[in-house]
Amino acid sequence: MSKQLGFLFNADHCIGCTACEIACRNENHTNRNVRWRKVSKSSEGFLSLSCNHCNSPECSRVCPENAFMKRHDGIVLIDSNLCTGCRLCITACPYEAPQFDYETNKVSKCQMCYPRQDQGLLPACVDACSTEALQLVDLENFYDPQAVSSIFGIPDIRITQPSIVFYPISEKKRHFLVERSSN
Amino acid sequence: MQMFRNTCPRNCYGTCSMLSYTENGKLIKVAGDPMHGFTQGHLCAKGYAYTQYVYNPLRLKYPMMQTKRGSGNWVRISWEEAYRIIAEKIIELYDRYGSNLASGYNKFSGNLGLLHYAVEGMFNSIGPHTKSFGNLCLATGEQAVKESFGNLHSPVPEEMAQSKMIFIWGANPAVTNIHQMKFIYKAKKNGGKLVVIDPIYTETASKADLYIQIKPGTDALLALGIAKCLLGLDQIEKTAAEWNGWKDYQQVLKRLNLATVAEKTGVSIETIQELAALYGEIKPVTTWNGLGIQRNKYGGVSIQAINSLAALSGNLHIANGGVYFTHSNYEDFPMNLLNFPEKKHASIKSSRMINCANFAMEAKNLQDPPLKLLWIASRSPLSQDMNINVWQELFKELELIVTVDLFMTNTAKHSDIVLPAASHFEEEDLNVGYWHHWLSINQKAIPSFYETKSDLMIARELTKKLNMLRPGFSTFPYELEPKDWIELELNEKVQALYGLKSYTSLVDGPKPRLANQKKNKHFSFIQVDDVKTMLHSLLLETKGEPSPYPFRLLSPQTLLKIHSQFALISWLNPKPDETVIEINNKVAESLGINDGEKVKIHNENGAIIAKACKNQHLPHGVVLVSQTGENSINQLIGSQLQKQEELSSTHFYDCFVSIKSLKHP
Repeated sequence: MSKQLGFLFNADHCIGCTACEIACRNENHTNRNVRWRKVSKSSEGFLSLSCNHCNSPECSRVCPENAFMKRHDGIVLIDSNLCTGCRLCITACPYEAPQFDYETNKVSKCQMCYPRQDQGLLPACVDACSTEALQLVDLENFYDPQAVSSIFGIPDIRITQPSIVFYPISEKKRHFLVERSSN
Repeated sequence: MQMFRNTCPRNCYGTCSMLSYTENGKLIKVAGDPMHGFTQGHLCAKGYAYTQYVYNPLRLKYPMMQTKRGSGNWVRISWEEAYRIIAEKIIELYDRYGSNLASGYNKFSGNLGLLHYAVEGMFNSIGPHTKSFGNLCLATGEQAVKESFGNLHSPVPEEMAQSKMIFIWGANPAVTNIHQMKFIYKAKKNGGKLVVIDPIYTETASKADLYIQIKPGTDALLALGIAKCLLGLDQIEKTAAEWNGWKDYQQVLKRLNLATVAEKTGVSIETIQELAALYGEIKPVTTWNGLGIQRNKYGGVSIQAINSLAALSGNLHIANGGVYFTHSNYEDFPMNLLNFPEKKHASIKSSRMINCANFAMEAKNLQDPPLKLLWIASRSPLSQDMNINVWQELFKELELIVTVDLFMTNTAKHSDIVLPAASHFEEEDLNVGYWHHWLSINQKAIPSFYETKSDLMIARELTKKLNMLRPGFSTFPYELEPKDWIELELNEKVQALYGLKSYTSLVDGPKPRLANQKKNKHFSFIQVDDVKTMLHSLLLETKGEPSPYPFRLLSPQTLLKIHSQFALISWLNPKPDETVIEINNKVAESLGINDGEKVKIHNENGAIIAKACKNQHLPHGVVLVSQTGENSINQLIGSQLQKQEELSSTHFYDCFVSIKSLKHP
């Protein structure tokens, strides 16, 4: 049976606490400028993104060294021994997933904590999320009519078919102050 | 790989139990503790960054002394030398003035572990001295909660998950108490609703089903307004008449003019009625008094008005209702170090107490004898206190300033001697929170970073040195080990409260307090005079000349720091610490200020430069400024503490400023 591990991101639940991003560093000890996972804030809400372990990974397609591979469970990995640091993958990826490491002169990226998963543990980011805004799912076996394939801030998903689905932000009621005049 | 149990000792709602993993004596990874019922195995971003905190190249490694204070001309000294200089000074001051009153300390919440009260114990052991008391952060709220309930209590936070309606007044748990959010979401999943009342459209507000923006400092009025509507709807607690002040409270509500409430709070009458319907019709309602509402002069009244509303609506004593603030479970403990008996002095009965909310001013004015030696631990007053100008004046009067810290803080930079402190991974401790009801241990997981020492080790070694130089100077039992002090805290009463057999029970995992809250049915409604004074004062505010400082300054906590702590951790704060001021879009435009531009913030206390950032949801009369170690916004915050408010905390949010673009001279 085929499998495609992916992320389920609930934008309504994410509080932007960045525990996922720092838990990734705590687990993987990435170098200073290398951010395998990144939490961002816009006027619409928070997003937590890493490599989306795409169905058709552009990084893999453009790599002259064939350094990328896709596992049977859908995880996309880069073999740093093969990487020459040409950075074509960085330009090709719509999600800023491959990260150039200036200390090694190579590209690295999220590996969905496969060593943890191989031990039956969740990826560090998912494990760290206290609001269940970030979850791990097998997209081959996931169906929820409320989940959507893209939300605000997500680049065109048609190119690479990222392995991530979203719950959007629900409507809420607000009573802001009505200011009489500005200062 | 070895695993240890640690507890994050920061001044935070979390007091998170954590698992630390070490290899060859090096901390390689931290994780949440799944056995902790409140955190349920999670940490916050700051918690996950601890490996970088512990091995940070900027951490202080050795005792140091600077030859001219503030010169930056630091010289490494040995611990022996540091102890000798400090001990000789203490003894010299004792001989000069006939007591230790010229020596004192200022310590607060940098590390809340129980063994860090070694500083207090050390000073008690040398007899009457000068000490700080009070609580900068929550004394106002604490007093108000005690007025209402007779004691400081707060329900079990896990129970919030069963509430049907959660009202948060002036708290932002999505930033300051992230572990609480999952219980709030659980309540929402079960059909509960979240209402947030805050002048700032916070991260928590953005998650609320209903958000009410309110003018700062007017929470009391809104709570009274909602209560008035409830009274009109006749949806009130049956036993309300049995509580103190019921008749007066009713009168206050009857006389209250809803139009005035709407005008002063900025919340429309329709919205007030909407809130009253929610408070009245749904049960159980949980009410959360945030620390934000008590950082202004109406803070105490606000909390009592909100407590009264919760009581009136019949949500006080029902399951999963109640009012949250903070609790004082630490009072269950003997606190042997904090309460270490003060050594007797022939003529002086006890120590001189200085309210920490006005420390610099009061310390500077001390006579007979003046304060000459100041020991600063677990805080950086030159970044976090108010009246920073006065602190600088106080420093000039002091003959020796010793600061114990992990990093070269703004305060450390202006000290004579800096002693490097251990991180919590390098010491043993016992931790009890003020929000959740769990008790946890902190094991020593790694050897000391270079020559760092815990507050307890410093107390043991310095008192030993004092006694070597002057036998009998200190009564501190320096032979006791950290484990001995921990075991002394776990007396029979505490063992029963937490279902413990011994120290080792905590090594197996954190333990919840078994006995439930001191449930007493006593309640006192807000008093008429307090409401009258507040109304009078609020009505006066709109009269008179326009202020030269038109913007109220709010400076709440930010996500990736605790005050100035963690500022140097690059995983969290990759860019140098910068003061940012958020201004309403329209206000910024009218002042000709663009995003990212440097602006001057000033008032009668001083001026600083900050980076402007537009925020479309800010009230026009409010600016929001981040807390930083250097260039601290607290330089503009003066103390307005009156004598009669002795037990209040600092009203950080009663600060008004003017802002100016630097483009137009």
